[in-house]
Amino acid sequence: MFLAWNEIKNNKLRFTLVIGVLVLISYLVFFLSGLANGLEQLNREAVDKWEADGVILTEESDLRLQQSIVSADDFDGAGVDEYTELSQLSAIASHGDKKENVFIFAVDEASFIMPNVTEGNAFADEGEVIADDTLKEDGFEIGDEISLSSTEETLEITGFTDKARFNAAPVLFTDLNTLETLQYGEMAEGDNDAVNAFVIRTDNLDSVEADEALQVVDTETFIENLPGYTEQNLTLTLMIYFLFVISAVVLAIFLYVLTIQKISIFGVMKAQGISSQYLAGSVVAQTFLLSLAGVMIGLVLAVVTGLFLPAAVPVAFNYIEMLVYGMILIAVSVIGAFISVQTIVRIDPLRAIGG
Amino acid sequence: MAILELKKVQKTFGSGRTKVEAMKETNFEAQQGELVAVIGPSGSGKSTFLSIAGGLQTPTAGEVRMNGTALTDLKEKKRAALRLKEVGFVLQASNLVPYLNVGQQMQLLDKVKKGNMSKAESEALYQSLGIDHLLCSFPKDLSGGERQRVAIAKALYTNPSLILADEPTASLDSDRAFEVMRMLKEITEEKQTATIVVTHDTRLIEDCDKVYQMTDGNMELQEKERYTV
Repeated sequence: MFLAWNEIKNNKLRFTLVIGVLVLISYLVFFLSGLANGLEQLNREAVDKWEADGVILTEESDLRLQQSIVSADDFDGAGVDEYTELSQLSAIASHGDKKENVFIFAVDEASFIMPNVTEGNAFADEGEVIADDTLKEDGFEIGDEISLSSTEETLEITGFTDKARFNAAPVLFTDLNTLETLQYGEMAEGDNDAVNAFVIRTDNLDSVEADEALQVVDTETFIENLPGYTEQNLTLTLMIYFLFVISAVVLAIFLYVLTIQKISIFGVMKAQGISSQYLAGSVVAQTFLLSLAGVMIGLVLAVVTGLFLPAAVPVAFNYIEMLVYGMILIAVSVIGAFISVQTIVRIDPLRAIGG
Repeated sequence: MAILELKKVQKTFGSGRTKVEAMKETNFEAQQGELVAVIGPSGSGKSTFLSIAGGLQTPTAGEVRMNGTALTDLKEKKRAALRLKEVGFVLQASNLVPYLNVGQQMQLLDKVKKGNMSKAESEALYQSLGIDHLLCSFPKDLSGGERQRVAIAKALYTNPSLILADEPTASLDSDRAFEVMRMLKEITEEKQTATIVVTHDTRLIEDCDKVYQMTDGNMELQEKERYTV
């Protein structure tokens, strides 16, 4: 550490540049991880809110909620602790000049997937909805009459709930009768038992006894099959992994060039009897210090940036994940330093003696 | 007592038509308190001799003993440890780490080896070498003479029994060169080390106890008067 720290102290410009590159890479890693996390939440918040263990859909639905149509009688709750029906509809909700793509979830008011109300009241009568509070940021308010793109019917917002977005759109929660009216208008008779899925809670999904035409999937699998969800996550994760490799390569190149420049002085030190192990340890310690500084600054910059981003940018930092990524960045940087270590081990102390 | 002994040492590079005998069969001895000069023109084998004497490379044949330990039997790791303990190098291009100040050059040696000079001893050494006011200076801020004096201090700091100096006066003017040689003579007597100075400058051998001449890989003990008269 002695050699490493003193070299950094006495070559400030050189090492500031190295740290600068690491700051940019780690900033990008942290920002992308925040973006990946934010986009993930944007897709799954409403499902996570159910705190359910699984979902029952039709076999032919390909795990897509909107493609699954089942009868409420198709499942009687055999093998589960709790279950409830879920119906959904997607639409464009508008109030005045405000328009927003929304999902409407129809739920039983007494079921475990009934959302909490953070402001206002729960729906009590037909035509009333609880809205995800991101709609508030778009100008929707309690008491607003909202019209939908696919029907002449209107809905009234009676309350707001938090963290209720599904597939990147805010969710409106209402009762099953209201949804039937939205779907069938005057034809609705209030006794339609068609729903999209059953949401279940159970300790053992294998014990669920469902009709052959139905399939039981765990909640995570259901989420992973949301349109675009897995593709989006894989893309961002791949970018993050590439950045780890880029970080290791960039630092390895920097350190290798610095080591090459110091070959003669390393040769002198080895001639004096200073071991390769001590010199290699010094390079590793230096890499650790540089990557630690770069990662810390990158982390702070990413968090500060997050404070100033508009709500429309879906960045949500998971600090534990960021710490893990930070540690990985430091680890891969140190691994990158081993190229320089090999160079040091191979330096012949004879170089110290002139010919 | 012989600090360094070379017995029938040879060093060849390559083989067949490309074979080069850098050092022909050589016998050499440096005693405690002795300042020995090895002189010869460029390419005569002086550097090969110095590197074998310092355990930086092994001879093709023969035996090298440092304080009774046969260097030829040791692996590089053990030779490095022995160099750190027994040898102080004063190198042609100075042996200073560019990003450490003079004081830190010595601290580095404290990090890698125990039993170096005490604070009082080192202060006395800095004073005798006239570098006590330079402890916070970096090598780039020192003159050639100052750098070489710091290099000598660094070589002595580990209390070595053998000092190997490779053209220690190469970058100095005549006055400074003589000053450095006088300093090496005083240190050799005072610390009872064996000091070997490799140089091509025959003017500097006045203070030496023994002079070896190297020519085309042959090393021969010479009468000092041959050069000084």
